[in-house]
Amino acid sequence: MSKTASLAASSYIESQILEFRAIYERIFTTQHLRYIVELGINAVWSKPEVIEGVYIPGPQDLGPQFLGTIERPGLREDSPEVTIRISIPRPPLPSETKQTDAPWRPQARLGRLFAASPMAYEYIRFQAEMRRKRHAGRRNRMTAISFNKGADLLPDAQRPETTQRPAALIGMHWLETGGAEKLGFDTIRWALESGLRVFVVASVPSLQRYADRLPDHPDVTFIRLDRWLPHHLWARFVEKLVLQENIALVHNHHCIPFYELLPLLRSRMPWVKTIDSTHIVEHADGGYPRISGVWSNYLDVQHVISGELVDYMQGQFNAPPSKVVLGRMLDRKDGQIPMPDLRLQAGQKTLHVAFVGRMYYQKRPVVVVETLRALDVWAKKNNVAFSATMVGEGPFEHAVTRLLRRYGLGSKVAQLPGNTDVPALLEQSDILILPSNNEGLALVCYEAITHGCIPISSRVGSQDELLPDDLLVPAQPYQGVRQTVFAIDRMFNDNSFLQRQKDGIRAKWQKLSADPTAEEVLKPIYRAAVEDALGD
Amino acid sequence: MSVLNKTAAVIVTFNRSEKLMKVLDALAAQTMRPDIVLVVNNASTDDTAEMVEARAKTDPSIRHLKLPSNVGGAGGFHAGMKAAYQMGAQYFWISDDDAYPEPDAIERLYSALNEFQSQNEWRPSFACSRVEWIDGSLCEMNCPRTVWDWARFVQPDKPWALVDSCSFVSVMIPRWAVAEHGLPIADYFIWFDDAEYTRRIARSYPGIFVPESRVVHDTPDNRGVNFGLVDEKSLWKFKYGARNETSFRRREGGLMNVLAYAYGVRNQMRANDVPHRLRREVYGSIIKGLSFRPKIEQAE
Repeated sequence: MSKTASLAASSYIESQILEFRAIYERIFTTQHLRYIVELGINAVWSKPEVIEGVYIPGPQDLGPQFLGTIERPGLREDSPEVTIRISIPRPPLPSETKQTDAPWRPQARLGRLFAASPMAYEYIRFQAEMRRKRHAGRRNRMTAISFNKGADLLPDAQRPETTQRPAALIGMHWLETGGAEKLGFDTIRWALESGLRVFVVASVPSLQRYADRLPDHPDVTFIRLDRWLPHHLWARFVEKLVLQENIALVHNHHCIPFYELLPLLRSRMPWVKTIDSTHIVEHADGGYPRISGVWSNYLDVQHVISGELVDYMQGQFNAPPSKVVLGRMLDRKDGQIPMPDLRLQAGQKTLHVAFVGRMYYQKRPVVVVETLRALDVWAKKNNVAFSATMVGEGPFEHAVTRLLRRYGLGSKVAQLPGNTDVPALLEQSDILILPSNNEGLALVCYEAITHGCIPISSRVGSQDELLPDDLLVPAQPYQGVRQTVFAIDRMFNDNSFLQRQKDGIRAKWQKLSADPTAEEVLKPIYRAAVEDALGD
Repeated sequence: MSVLNKTAAVIVTFNRSEKLMKVLDALAAQTMRPDIVLVVNNASTDDTAEMVEARAKTDPSIRHLKLPSNVGGAGGFHAGMKAAYQMGAQYFWISDDDAYPEPDAIERLYSALNEFQSQNEWRPSFACSRVEWIDGSLCEMNCPRTVWDWARFVQPDKPWALVDSCSFVSVMIPRWAVAEHGLPIADYFIWFDDAEYTRRIARSYPGIFVPESRVVHDTPDNRGVNFGLVDEKSLWKFKYGARNETSFRRREGGLMNVLAYAYGVRNQMRANDVPHRLRREVYGSIIKGLSFRPKIEQAE
């Protein structure tokens, strides 16, 4: 009987066991550990359950998926027992590697409406979002939690002696595609360049498809807490990690459990510098900037990427100006950010439109298709050869493909996966459209301008810091489509209007370029953390 | 994942003790013996119960599931898979009481399922054997249905075509497919339960045809399922088949799909001059099938 599959499976299981044991045995160093291991039925999450104290196995532990038990004796014979019930996620299927979310479908009651008029459906959903936004502030805390450092009478906890080189702990939302994630990856690189060892964790269980993009460096360690450890135990793990690995700095990129760690760090490890980076004030509940604002008294530095967020932190949460630092997501090469050369010319006879974004509702893929449809009609009337490219993956992919076919756009609109060479695409595109429910300052707009492509975006977030008024369109679906076509029509037929837009973009670009970049504000903080750690 | 591989053979039987014993002999001779051999006895009135119980005394893998009444092949497979699922089986080998597996038939299915996944990352929802008649020719009624890209992973040494439908004669189904898609429909009673079930689980991913796994199906004759073959004796089975397939097509493809099916049935019967009285009976079953909506039970 062939054993090939068995050997591959066994080696997978063994590697997974090593991963979770390393995590639990860092938390429970002296206890007697009993692992009850199952083979999981999903590819992402291990459903861990930790029971401290005596635990008697029941039939629920020995079901069809039961793999076996592992014992790690405690330091003493009477060490307390800890039982960890855990399942090993199965390897992902190719379809899951591509996309873990189920394909999007319209809400059951509104399915017929979507079939009859996708835009009417979008309009209703948009109105519902706006309503949620209006009511959001009433439900969520909108003031900073107070923090009292304590009286000088009692001494602060002191950094323990260590021979370890200092390290940074970087908390990501997940290691998937996205603007916030791109900044996270950059900060990992900057931390390494600043002399820190780097530990990376992600808060949201997922396949972490971009994990292979982490620097291939012995000082970078990705710890899969997202897969193996329940959030309520993160503080205990981080406490041990900070002390054992000489963590000098914790940088949070949209990693919720890291905010909950702040009281622990402030009270027991006050020497650890705490930073977060935020991007978007989100509609429903304010999103990460609101959470950051609520914890602002516990953070040493609040890094934001737009002027809007500086005002938000200082205005809404009374964060001190010295704490809120603006660092743009721009790359200054050789000390310069080159002035963009925008290609579109009035009266040209071709139009290539690009859309780059994950196919989630936030990016309004249905509105993108409707915009492309309206532009196709416009192009026919104006004798312009129209084509478009949509880049991105997500639950809306299938719905987009069907809509494009239904509107007869299948041959004019190319759909490409997320790993497409976006700069090359933008070099060949005249216009980038970005309908969106919420944005910080969309990275793809920076990229588009750098490559000579004019963005037209929904008027959300801080997009007005990058684009002139006429290139910002309402987020309301019908108006957004109409205004996008109107703006393109004017740029094609009115050269002075086009020049005004180009001048407007250049002026905004120049203003943004004068601001510090994220690298310029964060690297000094990282270096200071290294010096502090070594100085102590 | 082949680290867990508890395998249950589910054999449904009715009044064929002699053939059933040959099946149990073939199972005992397997290079990979099932951990559980579950004989689902559809209230047989011959000596099946005594024969199985006598055999079980010397073979601890045999379990005898005596049903209080004859619930048909569909009901038997439903009850058998449900019981095997509760026993914790990871793989279900499903077969008839008159199909004798070659000694390596089960091992080949198991290996193919796991090797396919290991090499191609996709998980087949089932693996089915080549079913031969007693003279070595292909058994007409047990020919699986391929999908359009059936040749996608076919290799000279691993000729596993992708299929989306097969019969319950030597098919191996992994536990995840049962957990995700539920059990076969017991209310079908007989015919089309296997096609419906394998098409249902193939929604996740098609199954594979494993020609190197072979079984001999000891049927009285080697005939396919064609409505041109309806006669007085077989009418009752064809009526169940027509009702069940109509019900399935209505569920999956709507009325147009049923009409296309009815048209095909009509052509088959016309081409073979099936008597009008029998045709009317079949059409009646198709009409019954339109309102026949049996529930799909999930495994627990």
